[in-house]
This record gives sequence, structure tokens and C-alpha cells, in this order.
Amino acid sequence: MPSSKFILFGYNSTMPLTADQEKLIKQDIKSKVFLQGPAGSGKTTAGIHWLTKLIKAGIPPHQILIFTPQRTLSLPYQNTLYQEEVQAHGPVNSLTLGGLARRMVDLFWPLVGIDAGFGTPNKAPNFLTLETAQYYMAHLVRPLIEEKGLFDSLTINRNRIYAQILDNLNKAAVVGFPYEEIGGRLKSAWVGDIEQLHIYDDVQFCADQFRSFCLENNLLDFSLQVEVFLKHLWTSPMCRSYLSQFYRHLIVDNIEEDTPVTHDILKEWLPDFESALIIFDQEAGYRSFLGADVESAQSLKDSCDKIINFEKNLVSEDGIRQVSLGINNAIARLKGTPQSNPEPSFEAVRAAIVSPAENPKYFPGMVAWVADQIANLINDGVSPGEIVVLAPFMPDVLRFTLTNRLDELGIPNQSHRPSRSLRDEPATQTMLTLGRIAFHSWEMLPERINLAYALVQAIDGLDLVRAQLLTAYAYKKSGSDFPLHPFEAIPPHVRDRVTFRVGERYDRLRNWLENINTQAELPLDFFLNKLFGEVLSQPGYGFHDKLDSGNTVAILIESIQKFRWAIGEQLVSDEISIGKEYIQMVNEGVIAAQYVQSWETGDEDAVLLSPAYTFLISNRPVDVQFWLDIGSPSWYQRLDQPLTHPYVLSRAWEHGELWDAEDELAASYQSLQRLSVGLLNRCRKKVYLGMSDLDVRGYENRGLLIRIIQNILQHARRETS
Amino acid sequence: MTPAVTILRPGQEKILKYHSGRMGISAVPGSGKTWTLSYLAAKLIRESAIDINQEILIVTLVNAAVDNFSIRISHQLLAEDLLPGFGYRIRTLHGLANDIVRERPDLAGLGTGYQIIDEVEANRIKQSIARDWLNAHIDFFEPYLQYEDYQRDQLYENKNNLPYLVESIASAFIRLSKDRQLTPKALREKLDQSQISLPLVEMGIEIYSDYQDALNYRGSVDFDDLIRLALRCLKSDPSLVDILQQRWPYILEDEAQDSSLLQQEILSLLAGENGNWVRVGDPNQAIYETFTTASPQYLLDFLKREDVEERSLPESGRSTLSIIDLANHLIKWTQNDHPNPEARIALNPPFIKPTPPGDPQPNPGDCPSCIKLIERALSPEQEIRFVADAVESFLQDHPDKTVAILSPRNTRGFKFVDELEKRKIPTVDSLLQSTSATRLSTGAIANILHYLGDPESSQKLSLAYKVWRRAERSDEENWTFYKGNISLIRGIDHVEDYLWPGIAGDWLDSLQQEEKDPQIIGELESFREVVRRWQNAVFLPIDQLILTISQDLFLDPSELALAHKLSSLLRQLGDAHPDWRLPEFTEELANIAKNERKFLGFSQEDEAFNPDLYPGQVVVATMHKAKGLEWDCVFLTAVNNYNYPSGAEFDNFQSEKWFVKDHLNMEAEIINQLKTLIEADPFDWYQPGRASMDARDEFIRERLRLLFVGITRARKWLTITWNTGRVSNRNFPALALLELINAVEKKQ
Repeated sequence: MPSSKFILFGYNSTMPLTADQEKLIKQDIKSKVFLQGPAGSGKTTAGIHWLTKLIKAGIPPHQILIFTPQRTLSLPYQNTLYQEEVQAHGPVNSLTLGGLARRMVDLFWPLVGIDAGFGTPNKAPNFLTLETAQYYMAHLVRPLIEEKGLFDSLTINRNRIYAQILDNLNKAAVVGFPYEEIGGRLKSAWVGDIEQLHIYDDVQFCADQFRSFCLENNLLDFSLQVEVFLKHLWTSPMCRSYLSQFYRHLIVDNIEEDTPVTHDILKEWLPDFESALIIFDQEAGYRSFLGADVESAQSLKDSCDKIINFEKNLVSEDGIRQVSLGINNAIARLKGTPQSNPEPSFEAVRAAIVSPAENPKYFPGMVAWVADQIANLINDGVSPGEIVVLAPFMPDVLRFTLTNRLDELGIPNQSHRPSRSLRDEPATQTMLTLGRIAFHSWEMLPERINLAYALVQAIDGLDLVRAQLLTAYAYKKSGSDFPLHPFEAIPPHVRDRVTFRVGERYDRLRNWLENINTQAELPLDFFLNKLFGEVLSQPGYGFHDKLDSGNTVAILIESIQKFRWAIGEQLVSDEISIGKEYIQMVNEGVIAAQYVQSWETGDEDAVLLSPAYTFLISNRPVDVQFWLDIGSPSWYQRLDQPLTHPYVLSRAWEHGELWDAEDELAASYQSLQRLSVGLLNRCRKKVYLGMSDLDVRGYENRGLLIRIIQNILQHARRETS
Repeated sequence: MTPAVTILRPGQEKILKYHSGRMGISAVPGSGKTWTLSYLAAKLIRESAIDINQEILIVTLVNAAVDNFSIRISHQLLAEDLLPGFGYRIRTLHGLANDIVRERPDLAGLGTGYQIIDEVEANRIKQSIARDWLNAHIDFFEPYLQYEDYQRDQLYENKNNLPYLVESIASAFIRLSKDRQLTPKALREKLDQSQISLPLVEMGIEIYSDYQDALNYRGSVDFDDLIRLALRCLKSDPSLVDILQQRWPYILEDEAQDSSLLQQEILSLLAGENGNWVRVGDPNQAIYETFTTASPQYLLDFLKREDVEERSLPESGRSTLSIIDLANHLIKWTQNDHPNPEARIALNPPFIKPTPPGDPQPNPGDCPSCIKLIERALSPEQEIRFVADAVESFLQDHPDKTVAILSPRNTRGFKFVDELEKRKIPTVDSLLQSTSATRLSTGAIANILHYLGDPESSQKLSLAYKVWRRAERSDEENWTFYKGNISLIRGIDHVEDYLWPGIAGDWLDSLQQEEKDPQIIGELESFREVVRRWQNAVFLPIDQLILTISQDLFLDPSELALAHKLSSLLRQLGDAHPDWRLPEFTEELANIAKNERKFLGFSQEDEAFNPDLYPGQVVVATMHKAKGLEWDCVFLTAVNNYNYPSGAEFDNFQSEKWFVKDHLNMEAEIINQLKTLIEADPFDWYQPGRASMDARDEFIRERLRLLFVGITRARKWLTITWNTGRVSNRNFPALALLELINAVEKKQ
């Protein structure tokens, strides 16, 4: 039996192979194949069989490199190795461009430290995470905004300014142009108010400052890791020889979601491999906002011995395929491009699409309709794991309401968020609030009610009412003394009410918090680690046996740890407390304390709630999809970020060409087509369309997607009649 | 009221023949212009084969009108077997501007997730900046002020005096600067280059600059920004204009008399040189012009253009002939005989005509005696009692009729509400601020949050219970049961013994021992479960906490939708104010609940107010809010020379503060200084006091139109009263009122 995880991703190696898949597997083991086909045509399944074939042929797994645009996409391959019949003798290597760059820079640092211009090449490199890079960016840019008036004509949150400058640096790195050209490129495409142009000079100035600062201090953000690797290691015979000897066989999946620089590297690297399988998903390219480039991905064809096409989508039933056809036709009509495709059949389309007889007026009405339909489907025997609920961005309000409703109906469900803010987690709040008590000299003492909330979470058996009582008598914010008083110091009648059992636990926690820093001030992450291990995870405390909280705390500790590693030295020399700075940065939103959730957690048979793009990337076909808020323009409008631009900074964009509303519209059509057809390619039977007249903010939305659906039905009806 | 069946009046028939090009329509009050425009929109959708990506764009003034149009067009399309909801888009100017900016936010210097702050939040920011500015420039205003020493503290400390003046003149400055598309930086450059001393502009720029910084910091724009940024987007990218012209092949503009310069520019760009643009309005109802660039002149100029087909809707079936005569007399007198020549352009023909015989909406039977114009002097308190007496007596005689009391300001309106409620006269005050349904629902959530911020309080817990069971109040007999429970909860010594019983025992057990009714015990057990759920949810982010609570409080779809909207609002506020905790969020909700803050909800009242839904009740509203609405019986109050001045020597003007010298209207002065800077006309220097005098004339004209609007709200019964003001004998009846009294007397 394959593991449940393996089935989750939709790749079941026990399924018989299609003729197309057989054709691939029969290729010589020394072949270099470019495999292309639409989503759902069985490409990844074929790739997994290819991997199995390599391993069964006796190739040591460590010689096999699985290369994907993001790590989770290599999981189906990794999971293959757990299967009994595969009998792998070790793990295969999975890499992304970032992983490769970082690994190589780390390994060959003595070779590159001087050439790349680092200030102290004899000291170890300091690899920045997104959070720590953002911290340094804020550190450099904040005074420029406040004192020099940079970006004064922009109305965006400052943290977005920092993030977009970093994004530009990353785009320069993965698209492969010098970062010194960022401002010039953006300016050359600008059609707007001339007075606004200076913001791109500001962007360039900040990017330059940041890069100099990084070089001076041995800091490597993602962009610098990639650039150093490309300029100094990829060109080094020693590094190339190391890579060629280490990796002999290559499997690349979702090449269309990767960046031009990755494509360049792979193109040069291909001749060194004994075998290669490169998998390309037609009609995709969902990560273009991250620099993915479909055109440069296709150029790898020329470097392969053979091109194999998988023609047919194996997932969708006829009705769903007809809807796809209808969408393609409708978008062709919108673009005014001639079309030769037949119109879909009205009956088939109508049978594949389910929508309410009358749209509910309000947003909760849509949620109720969706939950009821899911309940009906499950009653009719559809497995919850075969249902996915999608929205362009799954906002918290929608997710929370729908989850609650499904819980009420007893329907198992899970929610996938590509990233999640730790600030919103009660466990994080509890840990940081207690941290502020223990480090009272930081003068960041929490509000009384927040301490009460933290104590409820921390002490088993303590409720909110007693917590309020306890803090009212035991917590004193003024003065320099430790702010929590012992239980015995509060009046006896209050002690009676709080109960002695809770009092005893409170005292233990209180004493621990008071004494932990008496010798020397612990780093915040050490402190939290000890707090969790020595107190809160023990019987009688709130996190005992709570795996979820444990995970959250572990991620928080890791985040602080990375912050300390990357920034600690700097702060210590400035005599700033690292922990205090971390908490302040979290509160200001500079550090979002976000963490990426892995798909690995989703191994239950449960209805999945997910943002549409995240679901697409997960490559998971299901029987039924719910598309929510289909009136919303978010189904096709890109996230507009005024300081960066995925198209203008792409390789295909010609310098000096202007980006105007026509381009924006064309991009919208392309996004909508890719997204909707991509989703349909991952749907077997039915799509349920949910919308309300007014969205959650009270806006009436009649976006392109809903109008296209109407148009498909009208045309299909006209053709049929 | 509009024609129920499609028998068209001659004016309507002409309008509905429209196919393309420019058309301008002047419509009198009650002539059914909403109905006509809706009918025209449906006809264009049907006949012009609107494509998949096209819509008829309808632009109107306020949200309530958006809903009104939406309902009417949907009905019209359904009647013609067409799919409602497609082929048209109805927007206020702000809604339209938002749509345009969302197409290319980068051109406006925004990211996709930009936030729009409402007026309350914008004012809060301005207030705080203005206060800080005043503290830092404490002597700045001295040259403008007149006061006795003992008044100094009152003047500087009372937020209604100087602090309010600074805020209001800065607001006027910011609004005009944005209207003229000028940033603080651009103004600063102009001022630095200028040789003229313009101290008020100096102040304006500083506050404007701080205000924009505060907005930028929050990643937010205000309503004025939205409009100027929409225009900026259109002007920056000609292809955006092309796309939008293609998307909106027809533009129907309602309430065009209140169109501003920017609105006209935006719509003109969207319509294109030879595009299809229909503008409807009544210049006599232009009541939003003070300190804005809105002006009925734009519509009047449009009507005169050669390429514009001019049409009118002169017939109105709303009012009796006597009321129509009264309104027409006001036009005639203003135009010909107003003693102030500057006021004579305030009102213009067309005169209102009654509907022709056979019209589906005939005018009500005439009743000259139903018009009561009260010449007698009344103090403000007397006026309230007088009107309340009259309303009470009217409703006794006509319990099925609709009634409104209209006042010039909200604050005065609330005084009427208090008096009516004291007399137990059913009152509807939702037009004064947030609607009562919104306030009640918001208040319910606020009360629960209030408890959760003080979970040990039995008094707050009992209030939470009362809120939870509020639906039972309508049944008085049943309510006794719940009232008993409220008292029981309020009397709990230790709340934890009820909610989370420990070794001290369960409070419910003690009730059982007292042999309380098992039904009571069951009820309190249920409530305990609910409160525990709420207490467990306090650890969630604020939006999720509100949704959790609302699931236990609300069943009605519009209430649930409101909860969602509130949760989004609070989340947004939480992001803007990271230091906010439960008490601050509770206070924000309490403000909405207490009517201090306008928050558009989702109840029927919020969307489109229909006076006919409230027969036998008294709607209290401002005159401005009453525009577009009609009642059987209307009371126009406070029609004195303070609210409706004529320019006579003894008139006092609201914008001229008692503590400012020489009757200067500081808002007018700062605007005039700003115009001096912008226009830099060498022959038109800034002269202190001149703008204040001009502002008087503008106010006089606008108030004449407001009076016209008020009169034309009434179908059959109309009473007009005035009061002497807070200081006895200071105010007199408005000159226009005296003229109307004369006219009525003459006629009799």
C-alpha cells in the first residue's frame, strides 16, 4: 500500500500507466527528455516512474538531483522513496535555485569572499532570511523616508516599501540583469505623472545602499546569494566540477514556474548530466509575479535529445473540459482574436457548473450556501478530500466563517495558508507577553488585560474571570521591582476565589520568570525555549500535550534565533537588546514573523480551503471545486505594487517600452485564462460558483470571471438552440 | 412616487427617444427623474446590445440613490426578461473613482491593498494634527482674534472654539488643494516663490503636509484623494481612457447640479469627445456647494452647449397645487424681488407644473389650509414643543400618513427626537446618522466586548445576557422570564462560580437548592456555554472574535453581513493602530452604537430609505438628508435669519465666529489666500474680508435652495416654523419665510 501522503498528492504509482507514460518510461536511461503537456496529463506521475526506473537500475539516489521552483514540489518524488517496492538506499537530493546558491556559497566561501567584495571575507557569511533582510532594509530606509523625504509621493505602508525594494533586488538576480538597472528599467516603462518618476530613483538609491551595507557586513540576502553564485561560483571550474561529479542524473519538474537564471544554469549544466527529464506544464506560469518565465523555460527544449508530448488531460470529465473550452473562446472574443474552436455544449456546461438559483445578497449567505452544498455532496458519497474551496486570496474572515460553518456541520476541513503571521497566534502572544514580564527592565510591560489573557493560556485550569482577578491584585506596573507579586501577597479572599491550585501554578511560573534572569540576561530565544520546556509544557500548564502550540513556539524560537544570528552582533555593538528589538519589530510589523506552511500537514481526508494560486501549485486534482467570490476582480488583477513590476522587470520586456492600461488588460486576460483553465485542469467533475451581490466590504462586484461565465452560457445556449 | 405603469409624460417620452450623443435634462422636484433614468438605462441595455465587457455607467450622488437605481433597473430588466445585475454599473463619484484607481493603482502611487479611510477617521487625524499645530503656534491667531482676558482659556481650551476653527479651516484648505490636484510639496514651492505674505496658507500647508504623511504612513487615502487620484490615472494613461470608454459606452449622470469640477472632468474624459453622456439635475436643488468646487453652473453651461440636446422634466405629481405654488413663488420672488441682488441667481425656472390629466401619478387634491406658516416667535424649546404638539395631533387624525420633521442640523434633529421619544411618539432617526438597525446590531456586539474586557463584572455579564436575548423583548409576557434572569445574573457575587465553578461550588447548584424553576436553570446553563465560547475566543484576532460573537447574536442575513463588515473595519483599524486592544475596539463600536459615527451598514434603511415604510411614525432628518424623499406631512423648522440669512445688516453668519475680528469667515479667508497663491493674478490681490463677504452671498443663495428643497418634500401638509435662537430676540424669521407668509395671505 502506498502511504496516505503519497495518495494525497494524487500520484499513485500502483495505477496502470497510460500509453504516453509508457512511451516515456521506455526511453533509454541515458536520455535527456523534455516532457510537455497540459496539467493533469500525468507528467509528474511519469516523472516519479522515471525516478523509480533510475533507482531500480542501481543508480545511487544521492546522484539524482530533483530540481523544482519550490521545495514542496519535490515532495512527491521524495515520498516515492518511502515505497517498499522502490527500495532506495538513501535520499535523493532536492534543490531549488536558492538552495543551490546558498549551499554552494556556504561551501566555497573562502573562494568567493574576496572576489565578491565582502568587507570581512575571513569571517563566516551571514545568510539572511526574508525577515532579517527586511529588518536591515528597514534599518537603512526608515531614516531616508523620515529625514530625506524619499517615497513621499507614495501612499503605501512602509513595510511594503522595504519588501518591494527587496523584491526588485531578487528579480534582478533571478531574471539576470544588474541590480544597478532596476530604477532605469522601471522609469523607462512609466506612463504616469512625471513628478512620480523620482520614486524609482529612490528605489535604486535604497537598493544600492542595501547592497553596499550587505557587502560591508558579510550579509547575504537571497539576491546576493544568487548573484555571488552566478558570478563567482558557476563560472568557477572547481565548483562546476564539484557539481558535475556530485549530481549525475537530473529531474526538473514545473520548469515553467522557474526563473530565467535557473533556465540558463540548467541549459549550461545539462551536457554534464548522464540523464535528464525536464517537465513543462503547458498553460501554466502562475509564478510570473516571482519571476517565473515560460518562454525561457521552453528554450530548454533545444538542449534535450527528445521532446515528448502528453496530449490529453486525464483528470477532467467532458463537462469540465467544455467549460475550459468556453472560457478560452470567451477570452478570445474579449481580445478580439479570431477563433476556430467550436462552442461548448450548453447541457454539458450547465451540468458541470453549479450555481445558486439566486445569488444571496450578502457575503454570509454565500458561505452558508457553500457549506450546505458541501454537506450535500458528502451525503451523496463524495469524499471530503475530493472537495476544495478556492478564492483568489482566501481572506481570514472568509476562512474563519467557512471553517466554523463546516465544523458545525461536522465536516472535516483543513485550511491552507501559504504563510501565516505568528503575531496572530495566541501561543506567540502568550510567550511574548510573559517575556515582557521576565524582561521587565525593557520597560515594555503588557497591559493588564493582555497579561490576563496570557495567564489563561499559560496556566491549566485558570479561566478568564480568575485571571482578571489575579492580575488585578498581583500585577503592578509601576516601579522597577519585578511586576508580579507572589500569590501569598494578595488578599486571602481573592486567593480563595482564584483557588490555591491555580495559585500554586502561578507561583511556580512567577518564580521562574523572576529568577530566570537573575544571573545574566538570557537571549530571548533561549528564554522562550526554557520557558516552554521547563514550565509551560509541563503538566499543570497550558501547552502540556498541545502539539499545535508546541509547533508555533518552535517556529517563534527559530524566527528569533535567526534574527539573533543575523542581527545580534550589530545590535550588541549598538548596546541594544536583541529580544526587545525583536518584539518591537514584530509589533511594528517590520518582522511579520510569518512562516510558510508545508503541504505535508495536509494528509487527512478533509475539505481543503485554499487560495487559488496555492492550490494550483500543489498539483492536486480533485472531484469538486468551489470558486468563491467570482465577481471579484482579484481573479485576474495582479497585485499592484508601485515600486516593482513583474512584467517590466522580466527578460522579455524591452527597455523603453511603455507599460500602459492595454498591457494591464492583456495581462489580466492572460491571468484569468491561466488561472481558470489551470483550476479546471485539476478538477474532475464539477465546479460550484459562489458569490453574493455585495462582498464583505459592501462593494458590488461584477468582475470579468462572472461575466465570462454568463457569456459562455449565453453562447452555448445560442449554439445549442 | 413615480409612474407605476409605463404611460409616459411628454417630457419623459422625448427623453426616452435618446439613442446617442449628449443630452442635458433639467428636472423639477418629484418629476420622476430616477424612474426616467432607470427606464432609459434598461432601454439602452436592451437596444444597444451591450457587449460582454461593456456596461452603462450611472453616476449618482449618494449610496442610497445607488440602491434606488439598482432596484429600479433590476425590476425594469426583469420585466423585459433580461438578466438583472449585468450590463450596468451604478456608482457614486467616490465609488467610480475607486473603480478607476483599482485599474491602475500604481499610477496613483498606491498598492493594490490601499485602504480608504472614512470621514470620521480622517477628521480624527486632522483634529490631532491641528491641535498639535496650534500648541506649537500658540500666538499665530492673536492678530485675528477679539476676546476678553477672562475668555482666553475658554477660547483656546474648549475644543469647539479655536481648536475646532483650526481644524475646519485646515480641512477647507486641504479639500480645495486636493480639488486643484496640488500636493503640499507643490504648494510649498509656489509659496516659496511667491512674494506675497499669506500666513493662513503657510499654516494650511504645514497641516496638509502632516496629514498626508499620516495617511501615507497608514497606506490610506481619503475620499478627496480618491477623486483626484482617479483623474490623475486617467490623465496619465490615454490607453486607460480608451479602455474605459469602450467599457462604458453610455454615461448617465444623476444629480448633476451638484457636480464638481473634478467630477465633470472625470466624466468628460470617460465620455470622450463625441461620446454618449446624459446629465440630469435640478439647479434649484444644488445644496452642496459651500467650500467645494461643486456648482450648478456646470450643468447650466452644459445645457447651453450646441452639441447638447436640452430636455426638461417640468411636471411633478408629488405635491398639492398650493405647495407647488408656494415653491414656484419662492423662485419668482428670489429671481425678481430679493432685496439682495447677489441672491437673485439662487433659484431659476423651470417652474414646477402639475401633472397633466390622466397621468398615473396625479397631484394630491389641493388643500390650501394644510399649509401653515408660523410667524409667531418661538424660543428653541418652544419650537420643539410646538412642533411635537402639532405632530402628535396630526398623527391622531392621520395615523396612516407619513410625517417628517426637518431641521438644518443634526444636533437640532436629536433634540426633536428626545422630545418625541419622551412623548412616546414613534420616531425614526436613522437619517440623522447611522441607521437604528445598524446601531442596535453594533451596540449588541459592543456590549459583549465590553463584558469581555471586564469578565469579572456581573453587571456587564447581565447586560451581555440581555443583549443575547434581545429578540425576546417584543413579547412582553415572555420578557418577564428573561428580566428575572437578568436580575439573577446581576446579583452574582462571584462570576467565576457561575461561569467556571470550582471548589467553592457551582452557583447554578445553589439556585437548584433554592428550588428555582428548572427552565431558569436550563436557560442559565445555555448562556454559560455561550459565554465560555466567547471567553475562549478573546485570544483570536479581533475580526475573528467579532465573527464568533456574531454567530451567537445574529440570525438575520443583513446583521451577519454587518458583523462581517465591522470585523473587517476593526481589523483595518487594528492594523493602523497596532497598540489597540479590546478596550479601544469596544470604544470604536460603542461610538457607532451611540450614533457618534456614521457607518454604512446593510439594513434596508441603510441602503435606500423609503419614507412610505413608516406611516404613523415621525422621521427626523436634516434638510440635506431629506433630498430625494417625500412625506405626506412635513415640518420645516428653524427657518430663521441665522439658518436662512438674506444679507440684511442684522443677519449673523454661522461661519463668522464670535471670537474672530471684523466678521471674518476664516474658512473663506484661507481659501481666498490659497486661490491668490494658485491663480497668481496680478490684478487680483488678496484683500482681507472680501472673501468673507462673498461667502455670505454664496451661503444666502445655497440656503434659499435648501428652503426650496424643504418645501418640495411635502405632498399635502406643510408647516414652517422659526425660532429666536439661544439668545433671546437675536434671530428673526427668515426673509423668505415672511415673503411666503405674505404670498399665502394675499392668495387667501
